[in-house]
Amino acid sequence: MTRADGMPGFRSALARLFTIQAAFTYERMLGVGFAFAAEPMLRALDRSGGSPGGGPEAFRAALARQSHFFNAHPYLAALAVGAAARAETDGAPPERIERLRAALIGPLGSLGDRLIWAGWLPACAAVALLMVAFGARAWAVAVFLVLYNVVHVWLRVWGLRRGWRAGIGVAGALASPGLQRSLELVAPVAALLVGAALPALLGWYPFRERWEVPVAAAAAVLFAEAARLLQGRATGLVVATLTLAVVVGVGVLW
Amino acid sequence: MTGATAAAVLGVGAVAGLDLVSVPQAMIGRPLVAGFLGGAVVGGPLAGLATGAVLELFAFETLPVGASRYPDWGPAAAAAGALAALRGGVWDPAWMAGIMVVALLAAWVGGLGLMTVRRLNAAQLRRREREVESGDARALAALQIGGIVRDLVRAAVLTGVTFAVGERVARHVALGWRAPRELADVAVLGTALGVALWSAYRLFGQGTARRFLAVGTVAGVALAAGLLAW
Repeated sequence: MTRADGMPGFRSALARLFTIQAAFTYERMLGVGFAFAAEPMLRALDRSGGSPGGGPEAFRAALARQSHFFNAHPYLAALAVGAAARAETDGAPPERIERLRAALIGPLGSLGDRLIWAGWLPACAAVALLMVAFGARAWAVAVFLVLYNVVHVWLRVWGLRRGWRAGIGVAGALASPGLQRSLELVAPVAALLVGAALPALLGWYPFRERWEVPVAAAAAVLFAEAARLLQGRATGLVVATLTLAVVVGVGVLW
Repeated sequence: MTGATAAAVLGVGAVAGLDLVSVPQAMIGRPLVAGFLGGAVVGGPLAGLATGAVLELFAFETLPVGASRYPDWGPAAAAAGALAALRGGVWDPAWMAGIMVVALLAAWVGGLGLMTVRRLNAAQLRRREREVESGDARALAALQIGGIVRDLVRAAVLTGVTFAVGERVARHVALGWRAPRELADVAVLGTALGVALWSAYRLFGQGTARRFLAVGTVAGVALAAGLLAW
């Protein structure tokens, strides 16, 4: 097996990464999915037979180790899977591999949350909502899915390759200029797009009368302020559900 | 509605629910997408899209972060999109308000169901712990498949229940609505936009992003004025 260029089982590992949260539990979080995704790469250990650090026993020990507790953003977990699998096939000491996995949990979770959940996802959703406001119909859905998933799939591919290439020294990948620049850019871009999309929807909604537009806008601002005041006691969603239930009750009992 | 159409709605909801956590996390379960697909299988993609767009505003508040509890929008939006499409292209604000209440509740129930699936996953893991600890690849595959099947069943059941309950509630609300219909319009978009505004402020209300949010909002108001004038 060539270590530096050829990653064993890349396609299979990549496909399995899409199911990394399938067996999610509160005890091991992504652990089972992590080992499932790493398995095609760890097979190299099984196939290496009698070579030092290889063989079926080494493979099984590595697989068991990779199934232990792990948690991170599901897309960026690819980086940890690649790095841990590489460290295993390179014969790194088990305690070092476990330290590596533990050390990646916080940074990968935080990075993924900021980059994807609080950045790229709202940005793509805002683009789609703007398209809806301008009457794009099905294209809005198509553009949303393509735009979002180009980055999603790229992150998984990049993470797996980069993790494998870096092995135990994967921490350096998190400091890559491209990733840091993306982090700096994604929040302002998402803020701009979300800021534009929300009011624009007032011009799209099929109101029956023109006067409803400013009233709905005022209601939205008041509601947002109420949600801010109730912060920590109830989520906006709970308050919205209760509000709508009351409105429905009033509408029927009028 | 034919049995095949009902099965298609269940299928869309199941896939959308599965997407949130289990596989492939490609945002098929976002309200905009699931609502559109739910409407499309009933023959009203635009009604589904409109419903999904409103639910997408509510969904801004919840980020699917790791072990936290968050609503599952996919099945709720698929059922809501299908229900909106049942009106045959007629936009009835009261019908929509009824759908929204049921969809919001269903999203929360979906989140609770997800926790149950995780507990069932843990029970299966405990039964196979020895195999997993001995590095048995087949045991890992069985756990993954078990998790996917449980999640798929959860999402399909949730879609079916949401659709059945939603249809009754929406029909009841639409028939019994006595207040001006405009009240329902204002309440639905007002609360949805309010949740989204609050979420936008929480996400982008600090640092450099705050200025961009303000600039975007001004641009959005201008766009809305332009759309209304057009």
